[in-house]
Amino acid sequence: MDKINFVSKKMKTKTMELMAPAGNWESLRAAVNAGADSVYFGVEQLNMRARASMNFELSELKEISAFCSQHKVKTYLTLNTIVYDHDLSIVKKLIDEAKKQHISAIIASDQAVISYARSAGMEVHISTQVNITNIETVKFYALFADVIVLSRELSLNQVKKITTAIEKEQIKGPSGRLIEIELFGHGALCMAVSGKCYLSLHSQNSSANRGACMQNCRRTYTVIDNETQNELLIDNEYIMSPQDLCTIDFLDKIVDSGVKVLKIEGRGKAPEYVKTVVKAYREAIDAIENNTYNTAAIETWMEDLKSVYNRGFWSGYYLGQEMGSWHNTSGSLATQKKIYIAKGTHYYPKTQIAEFEVEAQHIAKGDSILITGPTTGVVESSIDELYVNGKPALLGKKGDQITFRLAERIRVTDKLYKLIPNPELQ
Amino acid sequence: MISISLQQKKCIGCNYCAEIAPELFRMSKKDGKSVLLHATHKGDYQNLKTNDFFREDALKCKEVCPVKIIKVHDCKS
Repeated sequence: MDKINFVSKKMKTKTMELMAPAGNWESLRAAVNAGADSVYFGVEQLNMRARASMNFELSELKEISAFCSQHKVKTYLTLNTIVYDHDLSIVKKLIDEAKKQHISAIIASDQAVISYARSAGMEVHISTQVNITNIETVKFYALFADVIVLSRELSLNQVKKITTAIEKEQIKGPSGRLIEIELFGHGALCMAVSGKCYLSLHSQNSSANRGACMQNCRRTYTVIDNETQNELLIDNEYIMSPQDLCTIDFLDKIVDSGVKVLKIEGRGKAPEYVKTVVKAYREAIDAIENNTYNTAAIETWMEDLKSVYNRGFWSGYYLGQEMGSWHNTSGSLATQKKIYIAKGTHYYPKTQIAEFEVEAQHIAKGDSILITGPTTGVVESSIDELYVNGKPALLGKKGDQITFRLAERIRVTDKLYKLIPNPELQ
Repeated sequence: MISISLQQKKCIGCNYCAEIAPELFRMSKKDGKSVLLHATHKGDYQNLKTNDFFREDALKCKEVCPVKIIKVHDCKS
C-alpha cells in the first residue's frame, strides 16, 4: 500500500516549473491561461524592463497576487537592476508591499536588495545579472536564495555538474529545501554575458543595467579600419545580434540536467507571443512527464513558436558544440503578422456574440483573428459568420459595427487584430 | 525665461539630470525618481518657469534623459 502511495505521489511531482514573463495584464492572463506555473514581472522602475509600458504599478500588486493565487500560479517580482543610494527607499517599499501582498519571491541581483528581502522574510531568487557559473557561487548565494538562475553561457554538462553537486552535498536555501536551478529556456539572447552590456549607456545614456537597453546590438554595422579606410568584409551586417534561444527540441536534455525552473524571456513582447510560447513549452514539459515527447510533437511546437516574434532560433551554448548564431534581418521572422482592425464595444453573453467597431483596414468572413485586452488576455479565433451593422456580410470596413459568434467574453478595452501570413517572408 | 517640464511617472531613476543640474533636479528618496525643484505639479507633470541662466543645463538634461521625459521650451514671460 505504501509503495502504491509513493508511486502516485512521485508521479505528481512536477518535472520542471514553467516560468512566464508578464509585462502587462494581457500577458499575465495569457501566461496563466496558457499553463504557466509561475510569472515574473516588474513594478515601477527597478527591473530590467524599466520603461513604464512593460511594468505594473505598486497598487496593482494586490490584484496580481489575488489573480495568480486563485489560479495557483507563483508570483515573482523582479528587482534586479543596479541599485543606487537614492533607490534604497523604493527598494524597501517594493519589498514590504510584496511581502504584504503574499508575492512568492523577489528576483534580485544587488546585495542591498537580497539583504533587505531576506530581513523582511521574503524568498529570494538570484537573477541572471549575477552570472552564476560554478558550484561555489551557488553555495554562497544559497545562504540567501532558494532558486538560482545559471548563466546562459553554460553548457548543459556544466549545468548537470552543478545540480548533481547540489543533490550530493545537500545544498539548501533558507527555506530548508534543496537549491533549485533555473535556466533560460526561450527568447531573446543578449550579445553580452548575462546582459551585462554598456553599449546602450555609452551611445545613448540609456543603461541596460537600469532596464533601459536601446538594443544597439539589433542594428546593422559596417566595420572600417580607420588607418587604411578599408571596410571589413562581413557577410552579415547584424554583427552583434544573436538569434533567439529555443530549447523545445532538446527540452528532455534540460530536464535530465536537473533544472527545476524553465524561464521564458519576454516582458517586452506582445501577449499573443506569451500565450503561444508558454502553451508550447507547457505541452512539451507535460509530454516529457507523460512519455509522449517525440519528433512529431516537436515539429508542431516549432511551427507554433515560429508564428510569433522571433529572430530565428538557435540552441544557445547549452549543447556546447555551436559558435554564436547571428540574426541577419531587421526585426522578426514570425510567420504570422497582426493588423489592428477594431475596438470592442459589446458582448452578448447569452447568445455569445461579440461586437466590435472597425477603426482601420477591413475584416472578412473566414479571417483569423486575435483579440487582446487587460481583462480578456489573449483570444485567438476565426470569423465563421460575419454580421455588419446587423446584416450578414462578407466584409466589414472602417466605421462599420461588426458582430460574430465568440465563446469568450470580450470587453470595451479589447482590441481586435487580423492575423495574416507575414508578407516579408512570402 | 524658459519653461521646463518633467513627466516624473516615467522616470527610471538614472540620476543623470540630478548630476548635471543639481539646482534643477534632485533624486527623490521617497520613490527614487527625479524631482524638478520648485515646480508646480499638474497631473503627471512637474512644470517650472525659470530664467535663461539655466537654459544650457536644462537642455543638456533633456538630451541625456534616457526615457525622454524632460522638455524645455522658451516662454514669453
